[in-house]
Amino acid sequence: MIRTWLGLRRAGVLGINERNLRLINDYNPRRLMRLVDDKTETKRLANAAGIQTPELYGLIRSPADMRNLEKLLDHPDGCVIKPANGSQGNGIQVILGPMRGGWRRSNGQRALLEDLKFHVNNILSGMYSLSGQPDVAMIEYRVKFDDVFDPISFGGVPDIRIIVLRGVPYVAMVRLPTAESDGKANLHKGGVGVGLDLVTGRTMHGMQKGKTTDIHPDTANPLGNLSVPHWDEMLLMAAKAYDVTGLGYLGADIVLDKGKGPMLLELNARPGLAIQVANRMGLRPLIEAVMKADIDGLTAEQRVELGKKIYREHVPEHVHA
Amino acid sequence: MTSTFHTRLLAFVLTAIALTIFGIKVFQYKYPLTPGEQTTTWDFEIYLDFDTANQPVRIETFIPSASDSRRVSQEQYYNGAFGLRLENSDGTGRKAIWTYRYPNDRKVLRYRARLEGETERSPLPPEMHRPVDKSAPDSLNDLERQAFLVWSSDMRRRSADDDSLAELILQEIFVHKDVDEIAALLPTTLPPPLDRLMLASEALQSQGIQARVANGVYLDEARRRAEVQHWLEYSVDGQDKRYFPGADPKEFFTIWYGTEEMIRANGVFDFEPQISIQPIDSSTSDVVRTAAREARTPVELFSFDRLPVTTQLVYQVLITIPAGIVLLVFMRQFIGIETLGTFMPILIGIAFRETALLNGLILFTMLVGLGLAMRFYLEKLRLLLVPRLAVVLIFIVICMAVIAQIFNGANMRMGLSISLFPMVILTMTIERMSIMWEEYSAEDAIKAGAGSMLVASLSYLVMTNQHIEFLLFNFPELLLVLMAACLLMGKYTGLRLSEIIRFRELAKVAPPK
Repeated sequence: MIRTWLGLRRAGVLGINERNLRLINDYNPRRLMRLVDDKTETKRLANAAGIQTPELYGLIRSPADMRNLEKLLDHPDGCVIKPANGSQGNGIQVILGPMRGGWRRSNGQRALLEDLKFHVNNILSGMYSLSGQPDVAMIEYRVKFDDVFDPISFGGVPDIRIIVLRGVPYVAMVRLPTAESDGKANLHKGGVGVGLDLVTGRTMHGMQKGKTTDIHPDTANPLGNLSVPHWDEMLLMAAKAYDVTGLGYLGADIVLDKGKGPMLLELNARPGLAIQVANRMGLRPLIEAVMKADIDGLTAEQRVELGKKIYREHVPEHVHA
Repeated sequence: MTSTFHTRLLAFVLTAIALTIFGIKVFQYKYPLTPGEQTTTWDFEIYLDFDTANQPVRIETFIPSASDSRRVSQEQYYNGAFGLRLENSDGTGRKAIWTYRYPNDRKVLRYRARLEGETERSPLPPEMHRPVDKSAPDSLNDLERQAFLVWSSDMRRRSADDDSLAELILQEIFVHKDVDEIAALLPTTLPPPLDRLMLASEALQSQGIQARVANGVYLDEARRRAEVQHWLEYSVDGQDKRYFPGADPKEFFTIWYGTEEMIRANGVFDFEPQISIQPIDSSTSDVVRTAAREARTPVELFSFDRLPVTTQLVYQVLITIPAGIVLLVFMRQFIGIETLGTFMPILIGIAFRETALLNGLILFTMLVGLGLAMRFYLEKLRLLLVPRLAVVLIFIVICMAVIAQIFNGANMRMGLSISLFPMVILTMTIERMSIMWEEYSAEDAIKAGAGSMLVASLSYLVMTNQHIEFLLFNFPELLLVLMAACLLMGKYTGLRLSEIIRFRELAKVAPPK
């Protein structure tokens, strides 16, 4: 145990306590948290700054709006219902498209209007919101994800998380859905996280449920050596997220649409630490380098370059091996 | 870094203030640091079960009364339709008198109280220190009086002082039982051992030693049918003494004095009086003892001694909560145990006070299990959130009522204690767990539930620990130390124990330097 502890210290592994105190407390003022906790707000800010997000079809703010639900759901390519203040992907319902008598859910089952109304009602009453407060349901464009990750994902939407400190992207991973995670790219639920080389956007090692792995559990394909297209564009989106929100410590969740390219799905002001396992390295050396760096007057593009430079300098050899 | 320094400074100042007050209390005013000798409180019950036949009923019974050395609290009378009158007489004790003019059927009367008993070292009441007139007992006829005087002057001759005289008289009466002189002197109206006790008391009084027969119960172990015991109390040269025929009890409770019967009943038949005693692991005795201590020092301004005892009892519970909180913070920040809700384990821990640990765990698990089943069933009905919570809450109350009924037969204490189990906490626990169950997995939900139970159990143990309770209640300034501990823990940035396990693979891949 002591040896493990010493090893973790040497590797610069960050714990929740340190993340809360040194990153979230110091860089994310509470009054700004609202901007990312409320996804409609994030979307508005991002769009204003030219960051692409899935198109919002409409909002359901109260039970009185419920009569619009059927109209809002009426898209041949389907849509996504999600709580505006949800966390960790809770309460998200993916609709693939209309089906006789109802809609087809992402798991292939049919959902009746009544089922979806119930789900929206749950969202409105705050079942999925961070603090149990009444919430708003968003209905938005369903991302037709790029097939680059097809060999290493099982149903659902893979997404890319880039962590940004003071506007400098410094570590990233891609999260892949598995059978176990029920098509959700959520690491808590058994999704696979794969570390990305920040410079090239190439996949490296993976992890599932806290354990390192190098193959996808369902497809058995190797996780490594896959290049993420539009990589620099994604890094730039993440860096810009800092400018629009002012939050110093952010996790940007980006999905890759087949036709429209990268889209910012949401921002997270309390990104988790599993990314350390996915990348097989502790974050502290990178964080300290970013904290020391002089970012005054740098544009988003320059900060991306700075992030790559810091990554090249501080990431240990074994990570790429 | 300045905020870290600030925090440390504040923690240091708080600790210094607290330890200064603590030090003054301990070293200058000699406050005790431990609860001292452990006294338990006892649940005492007189249960009167009888048949009546439509004729006036009068039942008199002596009931415990408080004095300097013993305490009675939480008295309850179950009168039914009977009239109740309490009567206090200095010489004998306190009596409850139940009356009813035309009762029929079988009736039950009950008296319940919590007792804190006496030990052999407890002082006797002040009236035992009054001087007595030396005279032979009035109840004897001339011949007996003559014999009594001969015998007692013989005793006097054979002793050196009052102390040894008393010893000798008692020895003569109770140990050398077969002496004819004694047998002749015994009052014939009283059953043993009252007769000998009465004789001893009269003999002592005739020699100017204050003495009387005391009656009560021995508080030794839980008894469904406790027997009334009789003993002698006397005072020699300002020393308080007791003589117990048979083995000396560790703890006992004096209910009345004299040779009257404890319970007298008129107009009833098939009368079955029953006295039961049961020990309670309660720390109220601490409060009571603290209350008895007089305010005598300036530092006592910062203590609860002056509050009424009922308020003190509330504070005695309140003041231990911070200790539980510190434990919770430690478990979360250093160990990394997942719980449902931030402070919920503490609330559960407080609820365990009512039920005791094992019962509480069983009840809690049972109710959460039932509630979860209900919650999953309700999922099908698609209710709105708040009404659904309400349904679960009502269901919980029903379950509690049913459980109380079931346990009432087997074990009354558990059945009664459940009624105070906080149902709102249970409902929220169920809702949180079921959401976790759906959104994550059954495993996560059960893990968080088990984590909550673990922290709740540990916090219960901390919050009910006699020593912690004693220290915090008598030295409330120690709360500042707890606050300082939380301040420092609030600046801990190291890994949690759970994270060391979670990230252990990263320790292996790190290059050794």
